[in-house]
Amino acid sequence: MSSQKRIAKELVECTASPPTGITVSLPNDSDVHKWHVVLDGPEGTAYAGGRFGLVVSLPIEYPFKAPAVTFATRIYHPNVTNDSLGSICLGLLKSENWKPSTRLLSVLEAVRNLLAEPQPDDPLEARIADEYRRDRREFDKNARSYVARYAKGPVKFDAPRGEPAAGEREGNGGDGGGASGGRA
Amino acid sequence: MADDFDNPRDVELSSLSAIYPEIQNPDPHDPYTIALDVPVNPSQAVTVFFPAASDDASPPGASGAGTAGPREQGPVDSHELAHLPSIHLEISLGPRYPVAEPPQITISANPPWLPAETVKRLEEDAPRLWQEMGCDMVGFTYIDHVQQAADDVFGLVSDKGALEVDPKHKIAILDYDIKARRAAFEKGTFGCEICLEPKKGSVCHRMLDCAHVFCVACLQDFYNNAIKEGDIAAVRCLAPNCAKERGKAMSPGRKRKKPRTFINPSELLQIPLDQEVVKRYVTLKYKTELESDKNTIYCPRPWCNGAARSKKHRKPQGLELAEASDDSASEEDDDEDHAEGETKSKPYKPAEDLLAICEECSFAFCSRCTQSWHGEFVRCTPRREKGELTTEELASLEYMKMHTTPCPTCAAPAQKTHGCNHMICYRCQSHFCYLCSAWLDPGNPYQHFNEAPDGRVTGCYMRLWELEMGDGDDVGYGFAGGAGGQVAAHAVPPAAGALPQELIPEIIEPEEEEEAQDARHAAAAQPHEPQADGGQVGIAREGPLVLRIAAHQAAGAGRGGPRARAGAAAPGAVRGGARAARNNQAVGRGGGPQQQAGRGAGGGAQRGGQRGRGGRGGGPPHRQNANNPANPAERAQRRNANNNGRNQEQAGGPAAAAVDPDDPGDGELDPVHEAWVRHFVQLALNDEEDILLEEDSDDDDGDLQAYGRWA
Repeated sequence: MSSQKRIAKELVECTASPPTGITVSLPNDSDVHKWHVVLDGPEGTAYAGGRFGLVVSLPIEYPFKAPAVTFATRIYHPNVTNDSLGSICLGLLKSENWKPSTRLLSVLEAVRNLLAEPQPDDPLEARIADEYRRDRREFDKNARSYVARYAKGPVKFDAPRGEPAAGEREGNGGDGGGASGGRA
Repeated sequence: MADDFDNPRDVELSSLSAIYPEIQNPDPHDPYTIALDVPVNPSQAVTVFFPAASDDASPPGASGAGTAGPREQGPVDSHELAHLPSIHLEISLGPRYPVAEPPQITISANPPWLPAETVKRLEEDAPRLWQEMGCDMVGFTYIDHVQQAADDVFGLVSDKGALEVDPKHKIAILDYDIKARRAAFEKGTFGCEICLEPKKGSVCHRMLDCAHVFCVACLQDFYNNAIKEGDIAAVRCLAPNCAKERGKAMSPGRKRKKPRTFINPSELLQIPLDQEVVKRYVTLKYKTELESDKNTIYCPRPWCNGAARSKKHRKPQGLELAEASDDSASEEDDDEDHAEGETKSKPYKPAEDLLAICEECSFAFCSRCTQSWHGEFVRCTPRREKGELTTEELASLEYMKMHTTPCPTCAAPAQKTHGCNHMICYRCQSHFCYLCSAWLDPGNPYQHFNEAPDGRVTGCYMRLWELEMGDGDDVGYGFAGGAGGQVAAHAVPPAAGALPQELIPEIIEPEEEEEAQDARHAAAAQPHEPQADGGQVGIAREGPLVLRIAAHQAAGAGRGGPRARAGAAAPGAVRGGARAARNNQAVGRGGGPQQQAGRGAGGGAQRGGQRGRGGRGGGPPHRQNANNPANPAERAQRRNANNNGRNQEQAGGPAAAAVDPDDPGDGELDPVHEAWVRHFVQLALNDEEDILLEEDSDDDDGDLQAYGRWA
């Protein structure tokens, strides 16, 4: 109950004064636990001009449990899995780091920041990270070609994936790491 | 001039009461005496010393303590106070005031913490100011003067920023401070960062250690839930950056001396949480602490299972912790323990290591043989527990061996359900690698999976995301297996076709894994008959080796395969290696004595989707080979595996090839096999495996084809 209230507040916060390059919408008005976010590739980066779909899934326990954020649009990035899952490695989303007072706005800004400044030292895609470090020109070229191929035109959120498991618990092993959960 | 008005005293009093509405008139018969409380809230919190109680002998007439500074070396009691009891000011305007007479001032404090000389000096300030003003109305000037003086506690604060006060006023002064703070806090409004609502201070709680404010309802919700779930580590301040700063200070061993991130039980009670919940928190914390210590000895009585007393971890006295304030609880525990130690363990000093006394039931037993205490001169041997395990227990032990990784610090087994291979122990918060159980630096855990600054790599290089969908088939969520495959496969696009095949067995028969696993165990055990036990352990322990081999392969491929597209091909080859190891496993299992043809292979496929590790598997013969070429049992196993046909050879190829360059003296590989292996590596590096498969896939079902494509 309180969870809904907080999400509603955050939604207002994100839609009333949307931060640069971030557009939030609800795919289903009756379900505030699933957000669709369109992220504009930051100017001056290889992602400029691209529009990236993000799916934000808020577990029922939100804000006590971290939201799951995945890219619905494929992106060539060291910290996003290069597949249809689009998992993101973001420290503040890891279950052991998540603090209930973290806001979605700062989560989304952190994701956008990741586009401006990839973290090759903490990669999900080691090969891309390697390329980013060693051959920026090649990396930019690849990233741009991904943008041209996937991130132009209307953003699609219905990538082939199932329902993210909301509020998953790990029985035993602590944190699995990176982009915590949310993938199907 | 004064005569223009009725009475200058009336004028002054009316203007004063306009400025200070809190002015009172203590004596109704004397309208010219006013009283005012001047709060003493120093702009900067003051350290207040309460010298040891021996000072009480000082003349009681001196209302308050001297300002002589720290003359005491003994234990000093100091507190940071932001509010001191206010000063009571009585101003009496005589009939000849203001022309011929200064105002009469009486100053007091309750309790009388203000030193007598300060009181005197303040009182004498009135005539002085009156004179400086040319014998005019001085009321406002004086009150203002006292207020300003109060801001630095009337100059009583010594150079060291400390104020010394007679200890007999300690309780009253501390009380006042707490009340004043609380009042100020309750008056305020705070935005709770959890529910994002503005809340009155009266329903908020300020964290004692870091001063972050949250509303009580949110804190209760969160902590109750965390404690209910047993997630003790989450019981900490909920502000985002708070954890980070404190986390840096947190050591993996979680020493109590370090700045703590967890919340003291007494604070939880203050929030307030239910006593029952706090009790559970204390108990769980104690238990976690015990469990994190490998040296903990448990009571052998089956109905008890309490931990033996130890100096390091003391059993919390539930209620005591609840009642005691802050740190004193642990101190009290200390004392108690010493007392017990004297009465019980001293007589047995020489055998202190052996004698263990259960914390719960006080059973005294020998920590070596776990029999009841037999005195220090009895020779005993550790009891063998192997034989006492039921099959069920054995099975779960076996499962743990296969599907968990022990924490390097506390040995707690962890099973990954999903995510990357950077793990944090649920028990002791150590960071470690799921693949090889290596301890990882909490500051930069991913280094382990990346290239070190000096260019060196570990066996887990680029393997952060192996086993992403969890270890074991009963973990993870949804039909994660397919996704796991996808993750691994995206480097080789054609692999997409493999997914449906891989999913099928999992969907239809989820429990099949058990059987497949059994088959695998059997396969592993069979060639080892002479030393079945040790062999299996060996296999289970060697998980990391396969990883290393796979990592080597990148190098190996670079060296051995001149046609490899050097840079780009290497990572692919690593993946290939891992996958090959997996294949190996699948085949080894399928080839076991209890083989159930399609099922064995199906299980292999199913596992393959989720397991990149392979190393824990039943029979990856080439790895064994590399590690210990002289072991005849393993040789036999390998041969056994080899007999399963070319398809399997092909599958196992890359791993073996990777081994070769590192182990040139290994005569185990027969030339035919070796040729196969080399051929396969070449094909793999050239992405030509599809052709190969078409030739070979006729002697098995499609699952291996799927693998072949990946490899």
